[in-house]
Amino acid sequence: MATAETKPIDVPDARYLRSNRLSRIVNVAGIYGIAVLFIVAGAILQSLGVINNFMTTRNFLNIIDAVALLGIVAAGMAFVTYSGHYADLSVPTTMALTGIVTVELLHYGFVPAVLAGLAVGLLIGAVNAVVVGRFRANPIIWTLAMSYVTMGVIRLVWVNRQIYPDVQTDNIRTIALFDGIFRLRLFNVISLPVLLMILMMLAGHFVLTHTVYGAQLKLTGSARRTATFSGVNAERVIGIAFLIAAFAAAVGGLIITSLSRVGAWYNGTGYEFRAVTAVVIGGVTLAGGRGTIIGVIGGAFVIGLMNNIMTLIGIGTFSQDMIRGAIFILVVGINAKSLRSLGRDDA
Amino acid sequence: MNQDSPVAALEMKEVGKRFPGTIAVDAVDFEVYAGEVHALVGENGAGKSTLMKMLAGSFNDYTGEILINGEAVELHTPSMAMKHGVGMIYQELSLANPISIAENIVAGHLPRRGVLVDRAALAAEAKRLMSIVGLDLDPDLPIEEISQHEAQLVEVAKVLGTSPSILVMDEPTSALSRDEVERLFAIIDSLRKRGLAIVYISHHLPEVFRIADRVTVMRDGRRVATRDVASLTREEIVQMMVGRSVKEFYSRAERTIGAVRYRVKDLSRWGFFHHVDLEAHVGEILGVCGLSGAGRSELARVLVGLDAADEGTMELDGKVLNGSGMAYYLARGIAYLTEDRKSEGLALRLSMEDNILSSIVPRLRRGLRYDKRLGRTTVQDLVKGLSIYPTDPTVTMANFSGGNQQKVLLAKWLAGGPRVLILDEPTRGVDIGAKVIIHEAVEKLAGAGNTVILISSDLPELVGLADRVLIMRQGRFVREMSYEQCTEESLLLAANGEESA
Ligand SMILES: Nc1ncnc2c1ncn2[C@@H]1O[C@H](COP(=O)(O)OP(=O)(O)OP(=O)(O)O)[C@@H](O)[C@H]1O
Ligand SMILES: [Mg+2]
Repeated sequence: MATAETKPIDVPDARYLRSNRLSRIVNVAGIYGIAVLFIVAGAILQSLGVINNFMTTRNFLNIIDAVALLGIVAAGMAFVTYSGHYADLSVPTTMALTGIVTVELLHYGFVPAVLAGLAVGLLIGAVNAVVVGRFRANPIIWTLAMSYVTMGVIRLVWVNRQIYPDVQTDNIRTIALFDGIFRLRLFNVISLPVLLMILMMLAGHFVLTHTVYGAQLKLTGSARRTATFSGVNAERVIGIAFLIAAFAAAVGGLIITSLSRVGAWYNGTGYEFRAVTAVVIGGVTLAGGRGTIIGVIGGAFVIGLMNNIMTLIGIGTFSQDMIRGAIFILVVGINAKSLRSLGRDDA
Repeated sequence: MNQDSPVAALEMKEVGKRFPGTIAVDAVDFEVYAGEVHALVGENGAGKSTLMKMLAGSFNDYTGEILINGEAVELHTPSMAMKHGVGMIYQELSLANPISIAENIVAGHLPRRGVLVDRAALAAEAKRLMSIVGLDLDPDLPIEEISQHEAQLVEVAKVLGTSPSILVMDEPTSALSRDEVERLFAIIDSLRKRGLAIVYISHHLPEVFRIADRVTVMRDGRRVATRDVASLTREEIVQMMVGRSVKEFYSRAERTIGAVRYRVKDLSRWGFFHHVDLEAHVGEILGVCGLSGAGRSELARVLVGLDAADEGTMELDGKVLNGSGMAYYLARGIAYLTEDRKSEGLALRLSMEDNILSSIVPRLRRGLRYDKRLGRTTVQDLVKGLSIYPTDPTVTMANFSGGNQQKVLLAKWLAGGPRVLILDEPTRGVDIGAKVIIHEAVEKLAGAGNTVILISSDLPELVGLADRVLIMRQGRFVREMSYEQCTEESLLLAANGEESA
């Protein structure tokens, strides 16, 4: 019988030392590489005549705006995933409720309405923070329940009413400001959402890598018990992650409501799954404690491009969902496998 | 031993395994016969665990040849290894936490009735295996609710459930009390009589002499020698392990003991310990001795703010500690090295540097910015001082050998310069040389005017290091001994409640 295969791994020491950092850069750069591949694929499909209007300024602006919305939500969600709590499934209803409350209160003026909307979003986050962080409820089950509760509140208070900014207030300026959340463009190019996304990305990156909180989150996400035994207040750390996710979702809710010009329960539908997919393909592992916000934004780009191309091809929403689901499973599977072969998967 | 049987139950021929940057096992020959207990010894990082993981099917890229009962086999996955009768008890416990004892034990081969799990058969099988290892617990308890030493026995039961013909135990006694060690030895004895080939890894040489027939010594990934245990002395084994002779005796450093630093009055946590009084002084190493279950770790957890006391007071340098949460205590220089390095001590997925710095995160700050470069020299000094290997701070913790993980754990707590350091089994799983290094570090800490509370089951360690030893039994301090009174026998008797005159 054959002996075990000989596979000497001749990696010089120095390279091994740097492999950690290098592989991190490759991982992050890799997701943007994939985004570029999607653009190339779109261009090829267009030149073959399969799709039209892909390589147009208008379409790219569309893509970037969609990516911005998803990127903002995903950047917040990344904190929850990074903390080792998979996902915040209350994101869609947080988005919807923030939008509804803001529109409802527009007659008090733009700023108070927006602040109230964000506050409601944060309130949902605070409940998640306490229940999951402190009472250690299962994050998936709890945030799912939370989203049903929120939906119940929306249905109860607003029945199935959709509420429109121009019905809530006569003040043209307020309406214009609200519409402008999505539509305002600097130099006619960079929209407010894109700007917000860039801000969130930089802030998120800074928090994760250059603050005490970030270091504590990394420890908590990698090994919660060890974090507690190192003097870290894990409950607080996890709670803040849920607050960040809720805040990001609330901002996303303002944008999507401004986009659709209507406050309605269905705003934000599907964003929980899209956001987690962006998060994991962006390199944040479900096991927690690993990944970067810059990678997550790259993940949002890939999802955005993919959605755009699929829509241009004419693939239906359900099929799109299925494809995204398949990709999610694939990425999670590959991730788990590569970690295991490195002998590092203890999750 | 059954050496008249011509073929070895296990024969590894020139096997090797390298990791990027290290050759963990280098052309090792190793054979074990049925009915033999074969000890495998060597320093931390010598390659013992790696050699055995190879056998357990953890690697698909090892080199060399493995024969089981004379037949060449490829052990590239855990299931292949299991199929060939290899059972492995890992150095680091591998029990899944929230599920029950029974499900853990019978995990690989759940009895079924149709498509359903046969609950009754499951419980019966678990009970049977638990009785072999002498565990009397409710099989439906979740693992997270039992103690570490019970979990270790569950692990043994679990492996026995796969009816192995080759059984590997990687430091099985490091979390066990003396009684449990005796029980384990009885189990090993009966398994040997039943003709199993047993590999036994330990840093504790008395155990090797007590239980093993032959011993193989490894050093730097190579085999140094294989001998009959009876033909060797302890010194000879140590000499082979480290390639030089090691001073193993403790030379007590003279310390000046100062005022009371940590005073505890009438402290209780119902159900765990009751009415505990304790005074630990500046410059003192205060030993705490007791059987497992005596409440030592529970006490330690309250002393550092991980759990709240139900009654009593604690004072540091005369000031009452009235805050809650470990951060409060840590900020005042009170630190705790846990006995459970894998799940409470280290984050195995993070780098060595992140682990060492994890106890001082809030201090690594420049303005708003966290900057771990501020801790770089601390890490370098500790790596050097404790001779941690590998020395590269960015290597993932899981890639360190058990003993080196333990050194990193100590480094983590030394990093903050604690004023009161509570050590819970600080030398678990470290080799003889590393033990000396750790002991010197502890003495140095105390010598510099800090306080050390040393909880240990390692009696020579207590006798050698402690200035005073408190004996804990069933949640109470029952006796105090000065170091002149301390001997291994007197401690053991006192811990068991058989007072010597
Ligand atoms: N997954 C891994 N990746 C890289 N290096 C590793 C890995 N596992 C072990 N090593 C290295 O291989 C060497 C041998 O380690 P091993 O765990 O076999 O030692 P050991 O003899 O069991 O030591 P101990 O007594 O401390 O448990 C060490 O230098 C260790 O750092
Ligand atoms: Mg080992």
